[in-house]
Amino acid sequence: MIMAVITISRGSYSKGKEVAEKVAERLGYECISREVLLDASDRFHIPEIKLVRAIHDAPSILGRFSHERQVFIAYIQSALTRRVQKDKVVYHGLAGHLLIKGIPHVLKVRIIADLADRAANEMAREGVSEEDARSLILKDDEERRQWTRSLYGVDPWDCQLYDFVLRIHRLTVGDAVDFICEAAKREAFTTTPALQQKMEDLALACQVKAALIDVFPDTAVICEYGNVVVYTKKSDRSTQKLQKRAKELQKEIEEIKYIEVHAGESFPPEAV
Amino acid sequence: MSVVIISSDRYHKGREIAQKTSEALDYALLDREILETVASKYNIPEERLRKSLDEVPSLLGVSSKMRALYLAYIEEATLAGLSGDRVVCHGLVAHLYVLGVSHVLKVRILADPKEVLRETASREGLSEEKAAKLIKRQALERQRWSRGAYRQDETGASLYDMVISLSQIEAEKAVKTIVEMAGYRKFKPMTYSIKCIKDKELATKVRATLMSYYPDVRVRADGTTVVVETNALKREKRKRTEKIKELAGRIPGVDYVEVHVVHDLLRPAAESFR
Repeated sequence: MIMAVITISRGSYSKGKEVAEKVAERLGYECISREVLLDASDRFHIPEIKLVRAIHDAPSILGRFSHERQVFIAYIQSALTRRVQKDKVVYHGLAGHLLIKGIPHVLKVRIIADLADRAANEMAREGVSEEDARSLILKDDEERRQWTRSLYGVDPWDCQLYDFVLRIHRLTVGDAVDFICEAAKREAFTTTPALQQKMEDLALACQVKAALIDVFPDTAVICEYGNVVVYTKKSDRSTQKLQKRAKELQKEIEEIKYIEVHAGESFPPEAV
Repeated sequence: MSVVIISSDRYHKGREIAQKTSEALDYALLDREILETVASKYNIPEERLRKSLDEVPSLLGVSSKMRALYLAYIEEATLAGLSGDRVVCHGLVAHLYVLGVSHVLKVRILADPKEVLRETASREGLSEEKAAKLIKRQALERQRWSRGAYRQDETGASLYDMVISLSQIEAEKAVKTIVEMAGYRKFKPMTYSIKCIKDKELATKVRATLMSYYPDVRVRADGTTVVVETNALKREKRKRTEKIKELAGRIPGVDYVEVHVVHDLLRPAAESFR
């Protein structure tokens, strides 16, 4: 049986949402976007609007509230990885391809459309003038660009981040849906037991990070077969507190088999 | 019966995909082999044509002016090849100048960055860190090339119908995908799209002829009518118009030549101060 996780990255009014919904419907997958924010809001008791701002708005010039933003993103990442670890999911929210880090069988697609087509879609839906529609779209694109650059140091327009980029212009929504459904059947995007384990490890690492980040912002977490390593660059009194908290987490989260803290070490690239 | 244009961040990877696609579709492959014909037609070393496709202008390499001329010759030969239909084209930067033709499917192939890093490190005898820096520098240089030559960034996805990354997808699967997409009805030639490509072919032919005399010419064609735009002083207008009409009128397929001379206001002003 084919099982896959598909992330669909899109700009506003690019018909990416429509593509995602139709792909999910065709494959019988769960289609999620805002649900992730609702999960995070419920689990961490944060108003949804704050989470929306954290994942959508460009960071301010002075980088104010950057810690708060990092915390919220860790919560969203935790909620998302929990959702997708069940497999058979199409996610079409922001930064899915970056939040589900290091999982090779996730099919990463970007849907783009020409500015003129996007402006026409916005005009039809919102009843705004063409000039307003264009400027709103460009502003939105720029915010998303800044957000991704500031947090992940990459440009969301960089094609290297995706397996496929499809332009809805001559290709219709139907073509894109056919195409993605076909691609999802490929072996490279099929879940194997080893990849499922990797996904579960990522979800657990994100869960641990979300539990720590508010009090211990400068930490990174990796997990392998339920064995968790928490990294901190500091090596001072706060390390003891972190070790104590880590031990508490082992009791709170039953999936953790073993947890240890590595202090004064640089973060491995695969850490969340 | 469409035309497929394949662009890639790595020439050899793109060529491999283009060749396999042409075999699978039973289409002709149009690639840098045509440079030999172009070189002998215009009596230019083939190496200079290759450099104009790959390198940014420099003092020791190809100048901006000569690059524009060489690219015009390459465009002429490419468009002549593409007007035949059932063609897979690669390595001639056609994705940057064959625009607005509905039966042309444009695909960009991105090589697996890990593989590129490994290959570069072993080929150049560099550490992975130094190879990564070299790859980054080459990518920036390539961006500079495409912006300088065609005022477009060829890494932008909006130039293509589809971008395929080979990080997770094997070359064979990418070929299969392109073949399937080329079969879509919207990439079938229509009377209008065939006319578009024929017009472009004629325009590039006229431009290649005129550019060695007037490097700034802009040409468009509609059937057998050709419209040429050029910058000139008022006093040169008549002479230039006649010369352009004479040169363009000799080209087979051209029945009528319209010349629009744009007066360069800055040059006379500058000259008046001498």
